Amino acid sequence: MTGLFTADVENRGLVLDPRTKLFVMITLVVFALGNTGSDIAAVKYATVVLCLLPVILLCTARQYKRAALSGLVYTLMKTVEMFCMPHMTGMILSLIGLCCLIFVRLMPGLIMGAYMLSSTTVSEFIAAMHRMHIPRQITIPMSVMFRFFPTVFEEFSSINTAMKMRDIRIGGKNSGKFIEYRLVPLMVCSVNIGSELSAAALTRGLGTKVRRTNICRIGFHVQDVIVLILSSALYVLWILGLTGVTG
Amino acid sequence: MKGKDLINIGIFSAIYFIILFAVAMLGFIPIFLPLLTVFVPIIGGIPFMLFLTRVKKFGMIWIMSVIMGILMLLTGMSWPPLVVSAVSGLIAELVYKSGNYRSASKAVLTNGVFSLWVAANYLPLFFAAEKYWSSRQNFGQDYIDTVTKLMPVWMCPVLFVVSFVCGIIGGFLGRALMKKHFEKACIA
Repeated sequence: MTGLFTADVENRGLVLDPRTKLFVMITLVVFALGNTGSDIAAVKYATVVLCLLPVILLCTARQYKRAALSGLVYTLMKTVEMFCMPHMTGMILSLIGLCCLIFVRLMPGLIMGAYMLSSTTVSEFIAAMHRMHIPRQITIPMSVMFRFFPTVFEEFSSINTAMKMRDIRIGGKNSGKFIEYRLVPLMVCSVNIGSELSAAALTRGLGTKVRRTNICRIGFHVQDVIVLILSSALYVLWILGLTGVTG
Repeated sequence: MKGKDLINIGIFSAIYFIILFAVAMLGFIPIFLPLLTVFVPIIGGIPFMLFLTRVKKFGMIWIMSVIMGILMLLTGMSWPPLVVSAVSGLIAELVYKSGNYRSASKAVLTNGVFSLWVAANYLPLFFAAEKYWSSRQNFGQDYIDTVTKLMPVWMCPVLFVVSFVCGIIGGFLGRALMKKHFEKACIA
């Protein structure tokens, strides 16, 4: 699970600008989740293409296993939704229909989110936020947070092991204490680590008012332009459809 | 607001988000999806109540709430959570401020208001529903009836109320745990 929140810098293949990823994410949210323009045929098919874009992006980041799995699940759900759902009735329709409805809409965004978190380094992310003029009141907590995720996972798995040894687990003798006996130690140690972290960060000048520099270079390259054109195409198609140029 | 406060926000946001993430794993079974509004405010109330003991300046709750909204955007839950969290976070901030950042009963209420954004995750599903069904008239009335029955529009305000009530419950739970553990360990 740790791999989801930390980028593997040496082994990530094609690098996209964080802002490009954000734009693709927003486009996915508008068209796949929001179903914008689904009554226009061109937009409907282009949305399916866009939904497969995160899968391709995962491949460029050399995460073939995750890409194959999510691509397969999405294709399966979409096929069921398009071809099988009109023929279903009653109970089966409500169960499978609802699954498809939720999966087909949410999946593309979730795949994109997994790609985004696993391919962006914290300093790239902060550099992009800085370029977008997000205030430091937001960027500092967020950088601390991303730095903190792996630590919390590590602590949690140790606590989990310790509590399993005491038979405090779901289905165990003391399952009633399941949540309390995990969260309380986790929070106590997080608070302690946190105060050490904040001391360390303050010595590095995180609290100062001066403009911070960032060693990380971000910018738009050829691959960004291609992805940006692909996702902007959807908006163009949608507007053309609204004005009645294409059916 | 100093650097230390901002770092505190980051740490507690991380804990809160990991709880959310763990509970959301349950939500992958669609039947459990609405139950997120029950579990997240209750379990999240424990770290949030501890966070509130560290809130002394205006804006800390608001920033945490906005960060939750941004995280939802980043993980593919659309923009409505961000809008709702920006508003509910401000209200939560004002509620806690009215108790001079000390009142214990106001803290419980703050957790209730803060939890409202969890329900906002479902807004896109309701927003888009109308359009979705109108474009699928050819699937037949039977289909539309079945899906409408499963996701009726009145569910939307109900989810908000549920997350508020569970936020209050979570607040009391967090307070009880604080008295039992954290005050003894001198970290509350």
